[in-house]
Amino acid sequence: MERLDRYLLAVRKHLPWQRQDDIIAELRANLEAQLEEKEAALGRPLSPAEMQEWLKALGSPLRMAAHYQPQQYLIGPSLYPIFRNVLRIALSWSAVIYCIASAAGWLAKSPHAIDVLRALLQAPLVLFTVAAWVTFAFAAIEIAVTHQFLKLPDFCAPSAGWSPAELPPFSQEAAGGKKPKSFAAAVAEVIFGFFWLVWLLLVPAHPFLMFGPGVYYLRSLPYALAPIWVTAYWCLVALNILQLLWNAYKLTRGTWQIRHPFAFIVFKTIGLTPVVLFLTATHHAPIVLKDWVQDPAAYAARLQEINQMANLSLEIVCAIILITLGVDIVRLSLDAYRKRVAAAQ
Amino acid sequence: MTLTENLFENLRLELRRGCLTLAVLAQLHEERYGYTLRKALADDGLAIDESTLYPLLRRLEAQGLLASEWREEEKRNKRFYRITPDGAQLFAQLLAEWQAINASVTETLRARTGDAQ
Repeated sequence: MERLDRYLLAVRKHLPWQRQDDIIAELRANLEAQLEEKEAALGRPLSPAEMQEWLKALGSPLRMAAHYQPQQYLIGPSLYPIFRNVLRIALSWSAVIYCIASAAGWLAKSPHAIDVLRALLQAPLVLFTVAAWVTFAFAAIEIAVTHQFLKLPDFCAPSAGWSPAELPPFSQEAAGGKKPKSFAAAVAEVIFGFFWLVWLLLVPAHPFLMFGPGVYYLRSLPYALAPIWVTAYWCLVALNILQLLWNAYKLTRGTWQIRHPFAFIVFKTIGLTPVVLFLTATHHAPIVLKDWVQDPAAYAARLQEINQMANLSLEIVCAIILITLGVDIVRLSLDAYRKRVAAAQ
Repeated sequence: MTLTENLFENLRLELRRGCLTLAVLAQLHEERYGYTLRKALADDGLAIDESTLYPLLRRLEAQGLLASEWREEEKRNKRFYRITPDGAQLFAQLLAEWQAINASVTETLRARTGDAQ
């Protein structure tokens, strides 16, 4: 009996305090009756080994007590789909806001590699904190609903207010497979890419093509483009040539309908080169004075303002491209992972 | 336990879960306490763990399907359960549902067996 007492004491520790006595009294009566019957059948008390085996068969005290608990989950099945959606949205927005806040922090001062590393290392903690708060809030709602302190609004019911007429229109993208690019679109991409390249090559000799009549006004200003523009320009030309060749290659090979996530990421990354060139330019000055001998006295302050504005704009553009690049990489990695899991199944 | 065995065990428990309530309600048309109920079910071929049956009785009582009473028997206080009128009404509905399901599954299995032969 001593072992049974110990077992019941262990069970008691895990029971809801309001019903401990009642449950233990009932459990004791049932188990003692069972034990007496066993001993009557054997004609002797159970040996310590037999007693241990019998108690083991009853299950661990924690498991026994767990069955008496009214609620065995943190977030129930009716709330869970909403919780999952809210968690996904909260994590996505937290990541975006965190990236923007970090980028803004870097722009406010000269960014160092250690700042970037610190921000990256802190990101999981930020996301974990957001996830914890969302989970905590939903667990609290679940408890409130379970104890009838709160009633979920009708739209939380799985089928409330649902109408087939409100279903979104069918699209192949939504159906799982992205809509393949048509032949006409692929040809147009190559043709427009070619004309775009021609236009780009003509601009240095004929700036009118880019600025229109404004070119005469720009010529009258005391400012000029810094030499870094030449390097950036040829980078841009090279990028467009690469893009055009790639599109033409896909067209001639008949593979324009096949998506190439890796190529997409590579082109987007290369697209950062001109921006990075400007950001790393000497003195961070994409605009210079035409006449360094006479003009500095009159225009130095204004020039500094213009270059600061230009650099700030370039840093913002760079941050936006980096963020979208990161999002694209995550999205494509997830797609690839899902395809691999689906293939494995 | 292999993955298949584990899956079988989970599905088996799922299959039994609904039937247990029906069997308990059926047995408790006659007043019983926990241990004798467990023995009666086991004698009918439906063995249930203590950790499943006793909490189930509490839940059914909380739902108003069973009523209980502490009473002394053989020099020991025991909690006796009996089905309530609400429980009896629900039992009749559940029994009809179970019989319909049983008939459907039997018919499906008979048709499949016929196809196979």
